[in-house]
Amino acid sequence: MSEMTPLNYEELRSLMVAAGLFVLGAIGFLTRRNLILLVLSAELMLHGVSLSLVTFGKIHQNQEGQAFTIFVLTVAACEAGLALSLVLALYRQTHSLDIRLWSELREFDTPVPVMADADGPQSLPSAYDGIPLLTPAGRQPRELPRTVNADPKRPDRTPV
Amino acid sequence: MNEWMQQHPASIGGLVLWAIGLLWLMPSGKPGKSRPGLPGIILAAAGVLAFCLGAGRGIDTLQSEVMFWTFALTALLCAALMITSKNPVYGALWFALATLGTCGLFMLQSAPFLAAATIIVYAGAVIVTFLFVIMLAQQSGAAGYDRRAQLVVPAVLSSFVLLGVVVQQLQTNPLKVERPGIVAAEKQSTTKGSATSPPPLPSPDAPIPPPPPVIPAMLSKATPETPVGSMKGLGRSLFGDYLFAVELAGTILLVASIGAIAIAPRREEGAL
Repeated sequence: MSEMTPLNYEELRSLMVAAGLFVLGAIGFLTRRNLILLVLSAELMLHGVSLSLVTFGKIHQNQEGQAFTIFVLTVAACEAGLALSLVLALYRQTHSLDIRLWSELREFDTPVPVMADADGPQSLPSAYDGIPLLTPAGRQPRELPRTVNADPKRPDRTPV
Repeated sequence: MNEWMQQHPASIGGLVLWAIGLLWLMPSGKPGKSRPGLPGIILAAAGVLAFCLGAGRGIDTLQSEVMFWTFALTALLCAALMITSKNPVYGALWFALATLGTCGLFMLQSAPFLAAATIIVYAGAVIVTFLFVIMLAQQSGAAGYDRRAQLVVPAVLSSFVLLGVVVQQLQTNPLKVERPGIVAAEKQSTTKGSATSPPPLPSPDAPIPPPPPVIPAMLSKATPETPVGSMKGLGRSLFGDYLFAVELAGTILLVASIGAIAIAPRREEGAL
C-alpha cells in the first residue's frame, strides 16, 4: 500500500542518544551504593525510554508515542514518591543510605558480598529492630530495664 | 560485525572513549588520592561527540544541527557526571540538567507539550523531593559509600557491550518504516495533474465496496489538522483511544500517594 523507507539520520541519532541515556542509567544503578542515587539512575533509564517512544511516534506519524510517554511520566512520579518513602523507612533502621547494609535480603544460597571498605557500619545494627510486635494479650509482663526510656503512652512497644 | 567496525569507526571509537572516561570518573574511594576529574570529562565528552557523529551526517539546517548537538551533549554528559558524582546533592543537580537536555530533544522531536510537562514534573517536583530527602538523611555531606562505587569494571563493560550491540543493529539493519504522511503527499503530487476531471460515478450495477476495516487507535493518527505533538491531537489520543488507561493512571497515582503516606515513618515512631 505504501512504500517502506529506512530511518533517516535524525531519527537514528535520536534513538542512539536514547540508548545512551538508558545505558548510563543502568551503569549508575549497578555501580552506585547510595539508595537515592539508585532511584535517580532508574529515572534516567526512564528518560531514555521516553525519548525512544517520542522518536517512534514521530517516525510513525501518530500520537501514541507521546501518549505512552505521558503514562511513563505518571508512573515515574508514583515511583519517585513511593521510593523516597521506602528510602526514609530504611534509613530509620540503619541510619545510613548504603545499599550493602541490606544484603541480608539476598537469596539464601548466594554468597555474602565482599565488604571492602572499613568505614560505615558493616551490617544491620540488629536483626530484630523494627519488627512489628504482636498485640498485647494476657498479663502485662514485668518491664525490663531496656525499656526505661520507652514511650510512656505506648508501653507495649519497645524503643526502636 | 567486522564490516560495521570498518564502516563506522566513529561509533566504536566513541563508545571506547566514553567507557574509559566513565571508568576514570567513577569514585574509587582511595583516601587522599582523588583523581582529577577533568581528563575523564574530556574523554567522556569526546566519546559522546564521536558516538553521535557515528549516526552520519545529512543535509539539514545549521540551526537544528546546533540545537541537536547542544541538547544531546548536555543530556549525555550531565548523565555521565550524575552517575559518577561523589556528592548526592550534585548528582541530583546534574540529573536536573540531564532532564533539561532530554526535554530539548523532545522539542526537536516535535513534542513541545511533553517537554514542558517533563520539566514541570521532574525539575519542579521530583528533584526538589529528592533534595529534601538527601538533606534530611545526609546532613554531613558525602558519606563513605558515596566515595566508593562497586563492581565498576563489569558494569561498565557489560553495559557498553549492550549499547554497542544496539547501535550496531540500528546502523547495519536499518528499520524500514511506513511513512503515511510522506506517501500521501507524494500520491497527491502525482495525481494532481490528472485530478482536474471528476472521478467517474460508480455504475449502479457495481458491487457495493466493503466497508473500510476498523483500525484500532484511530484517533491517534496524525492528520493535517492535528500534526504529531499538537495539543489537540495529543488530547484526542489520550481522551479518545486511551481514556481507560488515563483513568487507570489516575488510580495508580491515588494508590501511590496513599501507599507513600502509609510507608513513611510516623511522628510517634520517632524522628529520623
